[in-house]
Amino acid sequence: MRAADATADWKAADTRIGIFFVLPFAAAALVFMVYPVADAVRLAFYDHNPLRPEASTFVGLDNFRVIFEDPLFWQSLRQAAVWTSCSILLQTIIGVALALLLHLPLRGISVFRGLLLFPYIVPTVVIALILQWMLNAEIGVVNWSLKGAGIIDENVYWLASPNMAMLSTIMLNVWKYTPFVTICVLARLQTIPLELYDAAKVDGAGALNRFIDITLPQLAEVLTVVVIFRTIWTFNKFEEIYLLTKGGPGTSTFNLAIYSFEQSVANLRMGVGAATGVVMMFLLFAGSLIYIRVFRFAEDDTP
Amino acid sequence: MSGLEFVRRTVAYTVLLLVTFLVCFPLLWALSTSLKPAKDVMSTPPRLVPREMTLENYRNLITGKQQYYRADQSYVPSTAAPQHFTSWFANSVIVSLGSTLISIVISTLAAYSITRFRYWGRRIIPYFSLLGYMIPSIILVFPMFLVMTELSLTNSLWSLTFGYVSITLPFCMWLLWAFFRGIPIELEESAMIDGAGRLRVFVDIVLPSALPGIIAAAIFSLIVSWNDFLFARVFINSIENLPLTVGVMHFFEGTHVDWGLMMASAVLMTLPMAVLFMLMQRHLVAGFGAGAVKG
Repeated sequence: MRAADATADWKAADTRIGIFFVLPFAAAALVFMVYPVADAVRLAFYDHNPLRPEASTFVGLDNFRVIFEDPLFWQSLRQAAVWTSCSILLQTIIGVALALLLHLPLRGISVFRGLLLFPYIVPTVVIALILQWMLNAEIGVVNWSLKGAGIIDENVYWLASPNMAMLSTIMLNVWKYTPFVTICVLARLQTIPLELYDAAKVDGAGALNRFIDITLPQLAEVLTVVVIFRTIWTFNKFEEIYLLTKGGPGTSTFNLAIYSFEQSVANLRMGVGAATGVVMMFLLFAGSLIYIRVFRFAEDDTP
Repeated sequence: MSGLEFVRRTVAYTVLLLVTFLVCFPLLWALSTSLKPAKDVMSTPPRLVPREMTLENYRNLITGKQQYYRADQSYVPSTAAPQHFTSWFANSVIVSLGSTLISIVISTLAAYSITRFRYWGRRIIPYFSLLGYMIPSIILVFPMFLVMTELSLTNSLWSLTFGYVSITLPFCMWLLWAFFRGIPIELEESAMIDGAGRLRVFVDIVLPSALPGIIAAAIFSLIVSWNDFLFARVFINSIENLPLTVGVMHFFEGTHVDWGLMMASAVLMTLPMAVLFMLMQRHLVAGFGAGAVKG
């Protein structure tokens, strides 16, 4: 029985209240979401120097030509792909392993759960500062420990050599965002019916077989969602790289976000930066479409 | 307990302890460095448990005292601008709370509206928000900067507050929509049949049952705005109006990087989030469950 029992007049008044409630969101969404995105798209077709905004001119597709002819753009795209795929692969493997570990019925497991999820809320600036200190080639604790353990003889230039810098930014990203995978997988693990395992145990399936035959198929859906979401976000990350290496040494850890930032801030070419943003949005919508195609969700919307 | 079971447990605990140590090590190391006196910060072998402990770094940050380092017989300022630390901290608190409050109020009202009323266009709002929270800040930041310039708000805490709303609003909306859909409507209906008006129902019945979702959304919103670097880097150019994230970068400007002071600020920057995390861990997990986490 719902409000439909009331008179037509009352329903009209009621709908007005509903619209009144949604108005602040509509206004805020227009100002803070729709307008900036629309303006970013507009800027992509303009030559805009933030120091001389009055000289802004329409240049058509020139900005796109600039980025597509810029080797650094392609380099940034490649590096973003490497950075994203390595990060996501490691996050998924470690995240699932941690979730399985934290799912064990052990005394005190909630303490471990809390501690292992903690990195997610640590500000990126904080972990970037700490890693700069720990990875310092001359006085950092990491090189000192590795030398002490006999793993390396020479100091490793974690943040000053291109490959190591890439590795360091991946480590930062994996450290910070693996908890995201862990929480999602853990929540799903807790809903797998135990009877499934009992039957397999009776059949004599080992732990590994049970994982592959029962757990993994149950996790497939949540893992797909997590991987798509994390891929989209990781690909567009700015701070996780910028704060640790500033995109360097040289341009060896540039991704598209840093490329866009440098074009807008260092080169004062906001149009070129915005055009890069449009390319990023295009890639992002492609990713989101995959998500929506995979899960045609919410067909069962509230009436 | 069988012998096999005992071995299994021991292995599990050993692995757990090892992993936890590795994951927590950066934070432990920061804490340890921050508690060392200046002379011990770079001493070898590096010690996780300081030989001597001091709160000097924290005192210097809070009182804003300039610290001096000896280099080549002369004393030089070790870091630029520690005197602004307390204002940076206050700025971070103000803009995080401000943007969270705005996002939560707006999205709570809207979530109630789109799950309880019928009108044209309400179905697209959640999907619109989902798209909105996938848009990376790097795309929003420069157009928002131009808007703030038009409104003469650049370099103010208002610009940051509004800037963060553009990030936090879409995912608060998505999370609260998911949450409000799950609240059974029967209670509201029976109250309305008893003659209670919409507002009455909203305040007395809906808000209390939506509270866990609202808390989860608020926590994520606080985390996101507390963490932001990019908006503050672009919007703010006077040192005293910065939030912590961009402010502490000024500590790199001195002739010597004072790692003790740096790590003390890292610890202080994490502290509010750590407290929030400990108090609200349950709600945090609920928020992840609703699938509305920005990360």
